[in-house]
Amino acid sequence: MSGAVALSIVAVVVLGTIGFALFGVRRVRMDPQQYIVGGRSFGTIFLWVLLAGEIYTTFTFLGIAGLSYSQGAPAFYVMAYGACAYVIAYFITPAIWRVGKENNLLTGPDFFETMFDSRALGVSVAILQFLMIVPYVAVQLSGLQILLHIAGYGAYNATISVCIAFTVLALFVFSAGLRGTAWASIVKDVIVLLAVIFAGIAIPVRFFGSPSAMFDRVLRVHPQMLVLAHGNAYHGTIWFASTVLLSAIGFFMGPHSFNAVYSARGADTLRRNAMLLPFYQCFVSLMLFAGLSAALITPGLKGTAVDQSFLFVVQRYYPSWILGIIASAGALAALIPASALLLGGASVITKNVAGDWFGIATDDRSRTRLTRALVLLVALLALGFWLVAQKTVVELLLLYYNGITQFMPGVVAAFAWRRATAWGVGLGIAAGLAVAVPLAALNISPLGINPGFVGLGSNVLVLILVSLVTRGR
Amino acid sequence: MRPAPSSGTLLLRGLLAAIPIAALSIGVPLGNRVEPRILGAPFLLCWIVAWVLLTPAFIWAVGRLERHW
Repeated sequence: MSGAVALSIVAVVVLGTIGFALFGVRRVRMDPQQYIVGGRSFGTIFLWVLLAGEIYTTFTFLGIAGLSYSQGAPAFYVMAYGACAYVIAYFITPAIWRVGKENNLLTGPDFFETMFDSRALGVSVAILQFLMIVPYVAVQLSGLQILLHIAGYGAYNATISVCIAFTVLALFVFSAGLRGTAWASIVKDVIVLLAVIFAGIAIPVRFFGSPSAMFDRVLRVHPQMLVLAHGNAYHGTIWFASTVLLSAIGFFMGPHSFNAVYSARGADTLRRNAMLLPFYQCFVSLMLFAGLSAALITPGLKGTAVDQSFLFVVQRYYPSWILGIIASAGALAALIPASALLLGGASVITKNVAGDWFGIATDDRSRTRLTRALVLLVALLALGFWLVAQKTVVELLLLYYNGITQFMPGVVAAFAWRRATAWGVGLGIAAGLAVAVPLAALNISPLGINPGFVGLGSNVLVLILVSLVTRGR
Repeated sequence: MRPAPSSGTLLLRGLLAAIPIAALSIGVPLGNRVEPRILGAPFLLCWIVAWVLLTPAFIWAVGRLERHW
């Protein structure tokens, strides 16, 4: 019974959000510019809503709580890297936008192709970005499954619910494009905000009297939990600093992020967003309080169960309608970023692989049609991948985070170093991936430094050396 | 077109951008303590929240020097 109540609320909220977004785009005619980059017309507030909508994923929602539950202070890195990323975004996103505007670009690979005058580089980046996006969508599906399982009080088959929800989402992206994702983000941002305020304030108040009393309890039970270990210790200050910097560098390098950057009305729209996004970041960080509270209320969870810790608290101690609302927020936190990812993945294949490489679907009408078809195909691929590889998804996430970061040296070189060549950038990316992914998969952190940094170092080194011996732009 | 920012402020702009990034990464050992607690929260958390909230001010200052607003 309670499961039916909570799941019905999730269904109503998700369908309501999609209906709202479809209403928002009802008069929009879809050509590729409109469908993929929103006609480059999003103002400051609309873009802010979209960016907050696609940046804060289930990882933010479940992951921060889970990490603070099991580790404590190392979870603070999530707050820190967002703010650093926005400082970097202030400088880099307006520059990317300007290139996109002047050359009518649609995708991230287009940027590499234009700046280094190399179709081969564009196609390679497109294929890599596509390969990284599929596991990242699968991670969102795993988060969604956890939420639906708990919202159904374990009485319903969550895998089937995930398949249904994701099919509805794919059809939504098919019809509404990037502007649809932005409209849906309005609802998502508000509900997620309500959920994190509830989780971060109401839970500590009910169980401990106040967040302050909650911290007293944490310090009494685990005195070392709220500070970092020193230097190169596991999850120590060196790990913290290098992870913050690495995550900040990779922050706007996902293919869907390029779509969002191009969708801005002007360069100043992006600069204002860099200034305003840290405020949303602060609210989301209330999930830290939820995770710490859960560590006191239901201690002893291990493995992936830590990500569900605060949901267990809500499920056990609160009425089912509250669980329904919290689970709705989490479901939207999985689905809205997934919608942007589907569109990003479909657009790089349509534009860069089918269009530029094979010369298929190069006029506007067939390009929109192919992108739409590919949205459905990418969705199917991600769903199949998720059903087959459910357990290894977390390790594959490493490919995404380590992978997208490797695009940053090329972007910086495009603006800052005239001598950089397509070969240098391409082989730099390859070298970075070849070093970072195995280190990350084997969990090796030289001197306590995040392995992605070692990959980034080899990337830059190869970029410089190869550029010096190959012919320039 | 707005007038281009003078190169004289380049160092200042770079510094303004670097301060919050440094404070939140390599500068974190400076705030890595439990005491003094502010509103009950441990000092490390306050250090990070404070710098996240100060970041828009630094970005605003850079934008101001570049005459974007």
